[in-house]
Amino acid sequence: MASVAEVRAAVDAALQQVTEGQAAIQAAREKLSEAQKSLAAALDGSANEAVGAAHASLSQADQQLEECLGATLLAVEQAQTYTATL
Amino acid sequence: MSLLQELGAQIRATSDELPTGLVTVAMERLRSATELLTWVREASVDPIGVPLLGNATEHAEHAAAALRVAQDAIAAYLGVLGLAADADRPPDGDWRTGLADGATPRPGGRPRGSGAPPGPPDGHRPPPEKLGPWWQQRVSELTGEPPAKPEDVAAQHPSTSELLRRVAGDVRSGDRARLGRDLQNVDAATGLRLSAVTPPVMHRLAGDLLGHEPRAEDLPRLRTAVSGRVRSLLPGTSPGILDALLARICRAPAPADRPAHPADNAVTASVLTGVLLARLGRDPATLDPAAPEPLRRRDADA
Repeated sequence: MASVAEVRAAVDAALQQVTEGQAAIQAAREKLSEAQKSLAAALDGSANEAVGAAHASLSQADQQLEECLGATLLAVEQAQTYTATL
Repeated sequence: MSLLQELGAQIRATSDELPTGLVTVAMERLRSATELLTWVREASVDPIGVPLLGNATEHAEHAAAALRVAQDAIAAYLGVLGLAADADRPPDGDWRTGLADGATPRPGGRPRGSGAPPGPPDGHRPPPEKLGPWWQQRVSELTGEPPAKPEDVAAQHPSTSELLRRVAGDVRSGDRARLGRDLQNVDAATGLRLSAVTPPVMHRLAGDLLGHEPRAEDLPRLRTAVSGRVRSLLPGTSPGILDALLARICRAPAPADRPAHPADNAVTASVLTGVLLARLGRDPATLDPAAPEPLRRRDADA
């Protein structure tokens, strides 16, 4: 039979996965930032359309990762608020 | 090396190092967490963060797509320069990123290895979890093998990737009793992580088996290739779980169903990974990210 402790442990197990996901997102953003700098340095002065598209896509990826991280922070807060009321 | 070759090599290296593997790891961790919370909150009106995690996963998917678009644009630019985008390109190892043990991405620091999420260091005993025999009972129902003794569970602390390799070995030998023991002799958190680490692995293995990227029209062929063996090893799993996993591999719409027990997905996905590996005739050790990249077959027949 399930208990409050077990529900709380299940939520904690899920939040541990979220924490690991957040760490991966933060690491991805750091690598992305390095890639953006390296690409900007290598492609400085290029007016090629593909170069513009690459820069734009990398910025979009970073923006999406930032929003992803924000949503996970809110989700964790919501789940923790719930378990606090159990 | 000419100036142009040097520029091309630099651009190519930047493209290859884009964090597609890390984004995939994040996506799968979030999906797995959502699955567990969905199961916990079934019939509750409180969202417990589930819709927000759904949004987060969607953002991660968009980020992954944007990275692919950037890689395509870079490849197109290399073509403009007259350089082949694929020349000297290292094999794509992203599919095993989530299986790297202890390669913790550290915010504020350079990620070690390929950047998999934190795993317990060797010899470290994690504190006992409070989920009770919940995981063991469900694994017992799925495999038809008797539940493990608590002392056996306490004695075992393999990582999730080690567990996946053991499962793959059990599948290869067709030893259902050992499969049941290996899956039961871990704590629930280790077992549940199988849901998060297996999707990119299954997608890649299915692609290798089919000889091309899995597509929706490959679903019946893939089902025929694996379902008999999965069912014989997991007599308690529902066909809907396997169908949903296969649909996800083939990027096809998954059949809508009520939330499954989280252990069902994790266990079935690990066995399906083992079956795909066995169909390819590959050793479980090839799942180790440190192992050489397996050769891909083209135009193979499943």
